[in-house]
Order: sequence, then structure tokens, then C-alpha cells
Amino acid sequence: MTINFNHKMAAHCESGAVTTQINHAGLAISEPMVFGISGGLFFGYFKLPTMDFPTFVLRNQPGKIRQKVQKRLNLQIESSRQKDPARSMAELDGLLEQGLPVAVQVDFFYMNYIPPYARAHFNAHYINVVGKEGSDYLISDSYHPVIAKLDEGTLKTARSVKGPFAPSGFQFRVTAVDPEADLRAGIKDGIKQTCFYMLRLPIPLMGIRGIRRFGDKVTRWPELCRDIDHLSHEIMMIHVILEDRGTGGGGFRFLYASFLKEAAQLLDNDQLDGLAAEMMANGDEWRQISLFVARIGKARDLGPERLDELKGMIHERARVEHSLFNRLYAIARSL
Amino acid sequence: MKEKDLKIDHSHQLILYVEKEDQSYGPMQTGSYMADNYLDDFFEKRDKLRQQRLEELVRGEISPLAYYKDLVEIGEGDLAVRVGVSKRKLRYHMTPKGFSTISVALLEKYAEVFGIPVAQLFQIVLCDDERIEIGYEKTGLPQVIISRITNKD
Repeated sequence: MTINFNHKMAAHCESGAVTTQINHAGLAISEPMVFGISGGLFFGYFKLPTMDFPTFVLRNQPGKIRQKVQKRLNLQIESSRQKDPARSMAELDGLLEQGLPVAVQVDFFYMNYIPPYARAHFNAHYINVVGKEGSDYLISDSYHPVIAKLDEGTLKTARSVKGPFAPSGFQFRVTAVDPEADLRAGIKDGIKQTCFYMLRLPIPLMGIRGIRRFGDKVTRWPELCRDIDHLSHEIMMIHVILEDRGTGGGGFRFLYASFLKEAAQLLDNDQLDGLAAEMMANGDEWRQISLFVARIGKARDLGPERLDELKGMIHERARVEHSLFNRLYAIARSL
Repeated sequence: MKEKDLKIDHSHQLILYVEKEDQSYGPMQTGSYMADNYLDDFFEKRDKLRQQRLEELVRGEISPLAYYKDLVEIGEGDLAVRVGVSKRKLRYHMTPKGFSTISVALLEKYAEVFGIPVAQLFQIVLCDDERIEIGYEKTGLPQVIISRITNKD
């Protein structure tokens, strides 16, 4: 069976899956609004015990976009977690038979309609399952231009893997929306949350201090690499994380600028409109970092001078964003 | 970023948010800049790493698990959690001696993480003739696959 579902590509998998679920339930809202209201923007520089190499993240914890937007827009969401793979698939089938699209959490590695070079093990990818043809499921994935197919065995595996953020058969669907939801309050809370993440988290790995730490640590990456090719690969991954892995470009800054622009129009607020333009320009500079790392990575031009140059570019973003988020916080308080 | 500055023609599609000509901000579907400009470099590095690991495998220095772990780019800690063994045990399994002690059931878990049939943990298939295509078909037994060699011409 196929469910009438308006498939749309999106910048980010979770905000995309949540947005299309909300749209399907009857509320017209954009992905930037969902991302901004949920306070999705974040920065953290980590090396978790499960990783061989440090990395950075640009968004809040997986699942938070759904949870926060549910609370702030008064959405009714039905969700379940079923560790038994057979039972989780049976639950999914039951909802599909009723003609209901279901968002499920999966390991991105098994989404075999995506080119193999772009796939990696990441357990918190979100897709919408929008039908079934024989033993194939119909998949609406924000990262794929059209509805894709995934065979039953592969989807079952993708939903039952172990590891960090294990999906454990998690699924959800938006059952009802509130047309009278207070968007002003949602925007205000979302901005305040992002400003808290960026300015006030008392952990030096996160927020603006995390950006500075990233800049400092990147100059020491050569000590962590087995050879120049490995270093080149890790440096070029900065571009992939900032641009290609579901950020909408510029490390989510373009998406966040779109949110601020839309919020400014909705609330008729010129100050927010000005900060939207600043955020877009800030995103342009993050993209310059992306282009820089791709260039020096390919050329294997990765000596101390180049890495110091990269550090300077990253520190400059921290300086600019410190000012930007402080002013944004002041505006949010006055909304 | 302006819309015209980001438009790229490549099959690997994604959504970027841009400034439109009318100065509004919104989504644009485009090709990946990285895939369009740097994919050759990515494959070159990966092939070099594959060749290095293959030589170590042929010399009997590492087990197939170490070979596939690097190709899939998964961390030791992540792989260990996914298959349900300690990191210490995983490191032992990545040696030729340790590899020979693993049960078939556990090998199936490793193969699932690498996205390959378990049979490929015992045989590395290389093909030097571009006209030849090798396909794999599942059977009723998860441990057994059929390798079908066909001539593309």
C-alpha cells in the first residue's frame, strides 16, 4: 500500500522528518521554523570512547528537535520503542495498514539508496515510512530526492542495531496539531535555548568555548594521524560535517538565518531581520572554512602554518558568534 | 550565501538554504560541492588504504576484521559495542590468531556491521578486468552466498 504523503527533501533528517509529519497532520510550517523553535543549533567538540578520532557536532542531542517542538507547538505525538525487532516491524506494519505514515529511527549506514561513499554508521537518522509494496518499504528520506525502497531485512537491521544512540525500534507519528499554537512563545523559547547552548553551558567543550577548543585542537590533529593521507581525510571531513551531512550549508547557519528571517517577518521585528542577515554572512564565513579545508586537504598542504591559519579562521567565528548570540539573546528576552 | 553561487550539477543531491534573488531565504536543491570536486581524491585515498591493509592481510599480519573496519571507517569502541564484545576482545579478533577463535554467529554480527555477507570475511575478491561483473546473491542460509560472475559485454 502507498500513503498519500508529500515527500520533500530537507536540510536535516530529524527536522525534515518532523516537519513533514507536522505538515501531513495539517499544520503548514517550514523546516527552519521547526529547527529554530526546537533550539536545534549547538556546537560541541568531542572524542567519545566509541570514536577513534575527535569530531564536532553542530546540533542538539538526537530526538530533542522532536521533543522540544512537541512541547512548544503543543503537538500530539504518539511514539513507541520496541527492542524486539520482529515486534517493532509488526507495529510499523499495523500503522501502515491504517494508512498512517510513520517516522522511524535507523542506522544511516543501511540506507542503500544513498551512494556508498556518503554512508556511515550513525544510529540517529530519521526517515518516514510511507507505504509497503510486497516486502519492500517505501521510504521518504530528507536526503534523497524521491521516495526510495528498502527491503524488509535491511530496514529491520537498521532499526535494531546496537551502539551509540541505538534506535531500539523507535518510531513516532504526529497525531494532532494545534492551529492556535503560540508561535511567538515558541520562537522566543527556541532562541533562548540556542543562546543558552552557545553562551552559557558551563562545559568548555560546548558552545562558543567549544568552537575555540576546536580551533586549538585542530592544530594538534597531525599527532593523532597515521600518515598525511589520514590527516587529509580528517581535515576534509570538516567540510563534509559542515556542508554535506544534513546542515543546509555553513554548519546549519544558513538554516538558522532562514529561521530568524521567517521569525522577523512573523513578529514584524526589524532587529531580528538584521540578525538574520548577520547570521547568513556568518554562514558564508563558515563555508569559507569548508572550502579552505577541502583545498588544503586535497593539496596535502597541511603544515603547521596552514593549520594555524585554519585555527585563526575558527577563532574568528567564535569571536563573531559570541557577539551575535549575545545580541540575539537580548532580543529574545524582549519578545 | 546567494543561490547562484551554490548551484552545482551533480547526482549527489542535497538541500542548502540560500538567499534568493528576491532577498528572501529558502531551500535550494543542488549537487554536493564535495562530491563534484573532491570525490576522486576520496577514492584515491581509500584505494591506497585498501591496498595497504590488503598487503598486511596477505602477509598474515592482520585479520579480515581489521581490513574491513578501516574500509567502513568505524571506531574500535563503536564496533565493539555493536557486536557485543569488549575492546580488548575486538583487538584480539583483529589478529590472525584471534580471528580463528570466533564463532560463526559472532562473525555474522561483524559482517552485518561491515555491510557484507559473512562469506566475504573468508575471501577477498578482486577483479582486474573491467568487462567482468561480480554479483552476490543471498541463499536460504545466511552463511552461504552465490557469487555470480558475468561478462558485461
